[in-house]
Amino acid sequence: MSAPTLTREPGARRRGVTQRRNLGSHTFLVLLVLYFALPLWWLIVASTKNINGLFTGTGGPLWFDSEFDLVANVRQLFSQNGGIYWRWLGNSFLYAIVGGVGATVLSVLAGYGFAKYRFRGRNLYFAVLLGSVMVPLTALVIPTFVLLSDMGLTNTIWAVILPSLLSPFGVYLMRVYAQDAVPDELLDAARVDGAGDFKTFVSVALPLLRPAIVTVLLLSTVATWNNYFLPLAVLSDTKLLPVTVGLGQWQAQSTSGAAGSQLWNLVITGALISIIPLVVSFLSLQKYWQGGLSLGSLK
Amino acid sequence: MKLKTHGGHPNRVMTAALWLGLGAITLSACSGGSDAADGTADPAAGGSDGTCTNTVVNPDAEQVTVWAWYPAFEGVVDLFNNSHDDIQICWSNAGQGNDEYTKFSTTIEAKSGAPDVIMLETEVLPSFIIRDALADLTPYGAADVESSYAPGVWADHSSGDGVYAIPVDGGPMGMLYRADVFEAAGIMTPPTTWDEFAAAAQQLRDSGSTALMTDFPTNGRAFNQALFAQAGSEPYVFGDTDSTEVAIDLNDDGTKKVLNYWYDLIDKGLVGTDDAFTTDYNTKLVDGTYAVYLAAAWGPGYLSGLAGADDTAVWRAAPMPQWDAASPVQVNWGGSAFAVTSQAKNPEAAATVAKEVFGTEEAWKIGIEEGALYPLWKPIAESEYFTALEYPFFGGQKINEDVFLDAAAGYEGFTFSPFQNFAYDQLTEELFAAVQGEKSPEQAADDLQGQVVDYATSQGFTVK
Amino acid sequence: MTQLATVPTGVPAPTNARPRPTRTGGIDRARQRHGWLFVAPFTLVFITFLIVPLGYAFWMSLHTKTLAAGEHFSGFENYTRAFTDPEFLHGVAFVLRFSLVLIPIQMLVSLAAALVLDNLSSRLSKFSRLMIFVPYAIPVVIGAMMWGFLYSPRFGPIGEIFGMFGIDAPFMLSPDNVFAGLLNVVVWQWAGYYMIIIYAALRGIDTSVYEAARMDGANGWQIALRIKVPMISSALVLIFVFAIIGTLQFFTEPQILRSVAAGSIDASFTPNIYAYTLAFSYSQFNYASAISFALGVVVFIGSYVFLFLSRKRNGLS
Repeated sequence: MSAPTLTREPGARRRGVTQRRNLGSHTFLVLLVLYFALPLWWLIVASTKNINGLFTGTGGPLWFDSEFDLVANVRQLFSQNGGIYWRWLGNSFLYAIVGGVGATVLSVLAGYGFAKYRFRGRNLYFAVLLGSVMVPLTALVIPTFVLLSDMGLTNTIWAVILPSLLSPFGVYLMRVYAQDAVPDELLDAARVDGAGDFKTFVSVALPLLRPAIVTVLLLSTVATWNNYFLPLAVLSDTKLLPVTVGLGQWQAQSTSGAAGSQLWNLVITGALISIIPLVVSFLSLQKYWQGGLSLGSLK
Repeated sequence: MKLKTHGGHPNRVMTAALWLGLGAITLSACSGGSDAADGTADPAAGGSDGTCTNTVVNPDAEQVTVWAWYPAFEGVVDLFNNSHDDIQICWSNAGQGNDEYTKFSTTIEAKSGAPDVIMLETEVLPSFIIRDALADLTPYGAADVESSYAPGVWADHSSGDGVYAIPVDGGPMGMLYRADVFEAAGIMTPPTTWDEFAAAAQQLRDSGSTALMTDFPTNGRAFNQALFAQAGSEPYVFGDTDSTEVAIDLNDDGTKKVLNYWYDLIDKGLVGTDDAFTTDYNTKLVDGTYAVYLAAAWGPGYLSGLAGADDTAVWRAAPMPQWDAASPVQVNWGGSAFAVTSQAKNPEAAATVAKEVFGTEEAWKIGIEEGALYPLWKPIAESEYFTALEYPFFGGQKINEDVFLDAAAGYEGFTFSPFQNFAYDQLTEELFAAVQGEKSPEQAADDLQGQVVDYATSQGFTVK
Repeated sequence: MTQLATVPTGVPAPTNARPRPTRTGGIDRARQRHGWLFVAPFTLVFITFLIVPLGYAFWMSLHTKTLAAGEHFSGFENYTRAFTDPEFLHGVAFVLRFSLVLIPIQMLVSLAAALVLDNLSSRLSKFSRLMIFVPYAIPVVIGAMMWGFLYSPRFGPIGEIFGMFGIDAPFMLSPDNVFAGLLNVVVWQWAGYYMIIIYAALRGIDTSVYEAARMDGANGWQIALRIKVPMISSALVLIFVFAIIGTLQFFTEPQILRSVAAGSIDASFTPNIYAYTLAFSYSQFNYASAISFALGVVVFIGSYVFLFLSRKRNGLS
């Protein structure tokens, strides 16, 4: 790594040095980009191959085969099992958006409550909250299943959505953020003016919490989008699966010998398509989320 | 450090989203709560009403939920539903192998949510029988269909006096080989004994070919087990009388002979040790790295799903090599069955599904031609249609007649343990350790025996 | 905790409490209780989907059930067994070792990238920032599946890449390489995310601080190490805690990669995989619960020790 330089206000005198040092910095960046992008490049190339191209293609794993079958693969995604792939993708969206928004709402309210009210049991509650994330979620699969089953919710979309409303980490972030971002004086002033608790929250606190809200929304949406082992256990209906589990199922089908079928090209093309929406929304929304990501650290 | 505050009026969009989310939560929480309070039945669990992947032809009939992952199964389900007025199948694919078992296990622990009928691999049957998860089909007319299956096969699906599943497909073993690779190395006839097999492997190497004879995967599980069985290994005695007693013999002479044989070939570099069914293994199967694929009868389907690009490859099928050509031993790798779960709402209807879904020639033609399954149902397996079936992938060879029907006929059954997953995991670890040179093959077998015996004891079994 | 049971459920209605100006500067005492209204919706979900299942799982862990015999209450027997179980301890040792190597590497990569990016405003740097971050947008399961393909010496590109230098490609998931192989997967997946957090923290620093330092004759290195890094230390603490909890519960990547490297990633490779295998593969749900809680204890100790040591920085005084 070359020495960081101060390019924000490049004085004319320093420019020569700066550029030389930037060369080093840029080389470092290019190496990083190569490292992070190479797997994606492989994925893009692989998704243009049919099964034969994948296993015995001519171009090697890092270059295109003589046959370009991306369109054929996408078409097969539409026909395989009646186009179930697109349903999986839609399910992932539904779960991620409802779960993400729901988790954010709960986290914002709770984080604010923890930060700005000194109710009885607060510290104990918060300690339990932080402690509870220490036990790995694999322990909770059976109990959660029993619970959902008692509620008649296994094998429904709620079996995925309801548990994903829980984001102890989101609460933690919101609390830490709200503590500083919402000054007590402002709240008091609003109350002096006669506003109730909830009105104060909506009109005074919410606008101040916006960067944190966007971040928690991002984190909880991604967490739900990532969901794999819970839906695997609580859903048996193929039509309700999120795309992660669906692709896993196709992969399992391809790796099992008996009663299997080779769907490698679909697994790979499906994986590529499934990451596009999130990558695109990250890229297009970066203005909104980048500011908030450092929260929990700004003191 | 100061935070930038975003002054101004409340963000209306944000507030709206907040209320939207809250609404959704209350709604869902309420519906959840009320269901629980009413104690209503659980129509969603098990994938009934409206969650079927197939269409239900006769909605008034008794519905039986089925979990299965057979390829092209929807056509088979449609056949059943169209031909039954009183019973309809509601099918969903709950995942392949372990994915499905994970779900099934969860429903067993939760005591709800299991389907009525479930597809299980034969090797896991004892593991579920011992958890009381499967219904005995004897009261529901299992005996009616017994004559449609070979005795060895039927025994694999029974335990004690009970019958716990109706067989569907099997995996009698044979040898698929690259005739072109053999020919180039001057091997004109495929080896019929293991001695000839080892000699051919050496000849292949000496001819300057870069190909390996075959692969000996350490994660082969049922594959490895079948190779041991061919040399006389009968690792478990279980289930006939007292289900708390089990006899374990994993380090017998047969097993050690087979292990020594393979580790010798591995030492000489004539045989690969790639994990089975990975993408690398697939690549080597189709690019000519392996000259031989020791396969079960479903193997041709697996292979032809992968290959096709290489027009020069010439695949042919031959019987499994034998230890003693005079008294051949036939073995089986894989296969699955339909069981009725003990949570089935109507076990009788469920048993009817298990017995009849793959009980017609039409259903089997789908299973054979689209699913590449090997039928255990004798009426189709012994039919002219099946025996005379020519496989273009094998240059028109009648592989069933030439290889697999004999293999199936000679198969006498195999007893699996009620802790088969554990035993397999240990087998993989021990075989791998031996390949890594950490221990001798004999030591690996002895260690395996010790671990499985300890485990069985800790699980409350009396080990004989 | 008894209070939790009586928490009003549902949506906190906007309270129309009469204005009650405070004279002491804080919210008055009666009103503090309204905090519960804000916490209530979360609490409902928290109790239903975490506390109750945890309680149930704990209850399960106090019982023993074997395949051949029935179930019986066994107290803490499963825990004494867990903490003397070589498979479990081996897994714990692995994740501890893994954290000790992974976290510093991850920190270095993301910190270095963030510091470099903070100094540049070229088009390349913006592009790089996004490319480094993109892996975070890929679901872990899909990322792990992808690495399974990438690591295949024959199927994936690794053979080609090493071939360029005339070397035979190693199998990155062989027993000797699996540690590094997994390290790489995790760094690839998460470094960009940590980088963005650090980067955002760096952007929040008032640039006049640098001016002052430069006046005093500090060079770029000194500014980076003596000013920037200390000023974002609370962001670094946050990342550490993330990373510790995540790494000690390490599961998804090795679990997915087991299917291509069954020999080197065994059934008790990490404690979480062990718990999962015990439950869903061996039907030992009770002992699996105990293993999960035992791991929870390890994670608790690990992260609390760290939080305690760094409590000035993490906002949890």
